[in-house]
Order: sequence, then structure tokens, then C-alpha cells
Amino acid sequence: MKKLVFRICKCIGLPLAAVISWAALTWLIGCAANKQSAEVAAGTTPSATEKSGAQLWAENCVRCHNIRSPSSYSPAQWEVAMMHMRIRANLTPEEHKKILAFLKAGS
Amino acid sequence: MNRTIPSVVNLASLCALGAAALLFAPFTVAAQDAAAPPPDYVSRAEYDKLKADHEAMKKELDALKTAVQQMANGTAPAAPAEGPATAGKQSEGKQVVSAVPPQGATDELRQEVETLKTQVKETFPGTTKFLLAGYGTAGFTARSGEDPSFDASFNALFLYKLTERLFFEGEMELEFEDNNTTINLEVAQASYLLNDYMTIGVGRFLNPMNFFVERQHMNWVNKLPDKPLAVYDGLFPESDLGAQLRGVIPIGPTKLEYVGFVANAPDLITSFDDPTAVGMLSFPNTGNFGGHVAVGGHIGFIPIPQLEIGYGIQRSKVGPRDTAAENILQSVDFNYVRDSTLLKGLINFRAQWGWSHVGHLVYDPNGAQGFGPLDFNNNRNGGYVQLAYRPTHVDNDFIKNFEPVLRYDRLNQLHTPVGFDEQRWTLGLNYWVTPSAVVKVAYELDNKNAGARDQDAFMLQMAVGF
Repeated sequence: MKKLVFRICKCIGLPLAAVISWAALTWLIGCAANKQSAEVAAGTTPSATEKSGAQLWAENCVRCHNIRSPSSYSPAQWEVAMMHMRIRANLTPEEHKKILAFLKAGS
Repeated sequence: MNRTIPSVVNLASLCALGAAALLFAPFTVAAQDAAAPPPDYVSRAEYDKLKADHEAMKKELDALKTAVQQMANGTAPAAPAEGPATAGKQSEGKQVVSAVPPQGATDELRQEVETLKTQVKETFPGTTKFLLAGYGTAGFTARSGEDPSFDASFNALFLYKLTERLFFEGEMELEFEDNNTTINLEVAQASYLLNDYMTIGVGRFLNPMNFFVERQHMNWVNKLPDKPLAVYDGLFPESDLGAQLRGVIPIGPTKLEYVGFVANAPDLITSFDDPTAVGMLSFPNTGNFGGHVAVGGHIGFIPIPQLEIGYGIQRSKVGPRDTAAENILQSVDFNYVRDSTLLKGLINFRAQWGWSHVGHLVYDPNGAQGFGPLDFNNNRNGGYVQLAYRPTHVDNDFIKNFEPVLRYDRLNQLHTPVGFDEQRWTLGLNYWVTPSAVVKVAYELDNKNAGARDQDAFMLQMAVGF
């Protein structure tokens, strides 16, 4: 069974696997890009200054890990955790400020 | 008489209405049958007494209304006019007025409550600028050719916010290794926010050019029980000792992340203690053997919030100072995470590929170690592609916590002293108990060429982030 799997993989080869991956990705990104393009075309793509803290929290945190509930930490603890994330995840000051306000309000 | 009764009704007082009823009823009865007074006939004296009572109540109501009006306007109520007949009732009125505290007392009370709230909050854990975070794991691995075993590890993360600009981060890893408990200092970095878009960090930090190491290696974040070949504990260092400058530049709705760093260069293994290790890089080079400095960086572009594409590079000399070789490490990363309503869940796609080049070097040039002279370029590459899906939009609370994961990882090093390439397919299933606690089970199909032994594995792991 294992030999068969790897024989198939060998036959397919890494390039084809990459092509399949890219095809899948193109489709996946297309779902987002279509919407994004429409927003750009309409001049409505929101920047960080136009987004709410909750929206920025959902967008930025989930890029690396599951989003944690605001109640996970106390407001004072969120201050420390968010400064850590600002440095590690390269958050802009605007994102940092809004996400922190959202988390503190919900903690 | 009839003119006074409606004004009483307008006062909307039950008492006054009662008095009015008493006044009105006998009078009406008397009008109906004047010739024969009924048994409940009211005398003139009784009528006058009731009238006096009614007038007194009317005055009292007027006084109360005035007092209420004055309080509403924020002025102290004037003492109501009083007469002997209404003294008792006025004292009741005074009680009503005194039940509402004056403005000064309210402010004082509010201040006291705020002070108490602050004091209570200060008793909560972590309300100082220190936070103890981290993660722990417990697992079981049965790998072919090795004895099955349980393992556990604990990483404590010490975070300290000294000022609004100064931050310290320390990470300590405790794990079992060769029947001993080992302690490793993973991170010890002080960071200072130079401005909104630039932070300088010094100390020991996670290798910024390696996306997986910096963002994904934590066991409660990594989707599978083990870590991918090449990018972790393979081609690149896990951490560097030096200084880094990093930040982010927002460009409209997109973002450009950057990191530049200088650090101790990796050490180059030139002795023949382990035949397969000759020409390999050794991390971390805390003593900076060779005295070389590595310069590197990473750039990440986020065109849409769901997508991040990055490129990292590190360049240095490695090996003995007089015969040093060129070393270039490169990495490309692709990360796409999207919450799709169409697919009813969260799609998590990640890929990273890296290259390690150690320039031409003659090992054991005079044959003193018994294996030389041996000269070669040490070029290796490898990486992983991983897809995970979690049906977060499914109504069933049990099913929505499952997350199947598929990963392909590979390390090409056939033309090195190691002498074989390795590729793996790993299929895993996760169950998220909480957003930062996961139970992972996975089976790994391993395939090596050049006659090396395959090592399939069954893995189980519980990881908790806190």
C-alpha cells in the first residue's frame, strides 16, 4: 500500500503536485480575490484605519493561530500579550491599538 | 363648592380624591332628599373640618411639588411652609427629600467606587506588566525501527512590558532528552520601539528569516505532532544570537513586513565524529566559533488579509577563519488562511521551501582525521506543503472542532555525506478542545532513497497553549 502511494507520488512527481497545489490555491484565492477586486474597483477596500478592532482581531490573529477569546486574559494581561504580538507579528500601530481596545473591552 | 372640587381632582392625589368623595357624597344625597335627612347626615361642623383638612392637604401637595421641582433644578429645596395641622405630614415630606443625597455626596461615592474597583482589579493575577504564557505538550510516538515512547515538554514564555516602548521576552524550554531533562534558553530578547514602524531587538531571538520557526513551531499552533523536515531542525537555525531591526509598512489596504538582522554565523562541522555530519551547519553558534557574522532578513507581503508571501535570506562565512566557506540560506513561504462560507469552514494552507548552500571546501585536507582530503559543495534543500480544514460553520458543536490535516515534506541531501533524500506524507486529525488546546493524532508515511530505511510513524499529542 505504502509502496503504491509513493509510486503514485513518484509518477506524479513534485512538479505535478505543485501544479495541483497551485490550481487548488488559485481557486481558493480566487474566492477571496474576486471579492477583493470588486472592493478595489469600487474604491471600498478598507484599510486598517477603517476597520473595527474585532475585524482586525479576526484577520490578523487567525493568520498564525486560532483566535483566542477576549476573556482569556485580563485587560492588563492583554496589554502585555498585544505588545508581544505587535513585535512578533508586525502589527501596525493602528491595528495594535484597535485590537487591544477590542480585547480589553471584552475581557 | 362645585368649582373647588375639580381643582382637587387635578392634584391627582388619592388622599385628596378621598376627601373630595367624602365631601361630595353627603352633599349629593342631601340634594336628593332634603325633607328627610338620611342617617349619615353630615353636620356643618363636620363639613368645615373636612374642608380644612382638604385645604391643608392641597397646600402640602403644592409644597412637595415645589420641592421636587427645586431638586430637579439642582437647587436645595426650601423648607416647606408649615402650620400646626400639617407638621406631622411635613416631617414625612422631609424624609423623602433627605433620601436623595446631595451632588457632593454622589461624587464622593462615585470616586470611592472607582477606587475600590481599581483595588479589586489590582488583585487579579497578571495585572502588573508581566505575563507568564507558553505551552506544554504530552505525546506518544511509535516509529518503525525505534522503541515506542511517551514524551512531554514545557515551554514557559516570560513577557515583560517595561514601558510603552521597551519590552522583554524570554522563553525557556524544558524537555526530556536521552533520559535527562534538558533546559534550553530559546529566546531572551529586549525590544525597543524606535517609532511606529520600526523596532530594534537584541539578544537571542527566533530566526526571522524562517517563517515556520517564528510563527508556526509552537506545538499548539503547529497542526501536526511533529515538525516538517528541512525548515525545522534541518537547514535553518531555530534561533539567532544578535540584533534585529523589524517593522511593518502599511501600503493602503496591504502591508509590507520587513526584518533585517546580524547574528553569530552558524558553525561548520569539519571533524569526523559523525561521518554524516561533515559539511553540515551547526546551530546555534553561541560561542561564535570561527568569528563570522551572519547578515540576513525577511520580507513579507500581505496583499489581502488572508494571504502572506515571504522571502528570507541569510548570508555568512562558515568554518575555520583561514579556510572559510560561503554559506547562503534562503527560504520562500506562502501562507493562506481563509474563513470560507462556501466551504463552511476555515482553510489553512501553508508552504515553505528552503535552500542551504555551503561553498566548496576541502575537509581533512592532509588526511590527519583519516577520511580526507574530501571536498564538496554542500547543497541541500527541502520544505513542506500543508493543507488543513476545519468545518467551523457546521452547526454541530462536536464536528466543528475536528480538523483533518495533510502534509507533504521533503529533504533533499543525496549528494552530501548523509547520502539520501527523504520524503514524507503525513495525515492527521485534530480535535480542538479550546482555541488553544488540541489533541492530535497522525500517521506518517516515510520514504527514503539510496537504500536508507523508511521509518513510518504513529503519533499522538496533546498540546496546550496558555
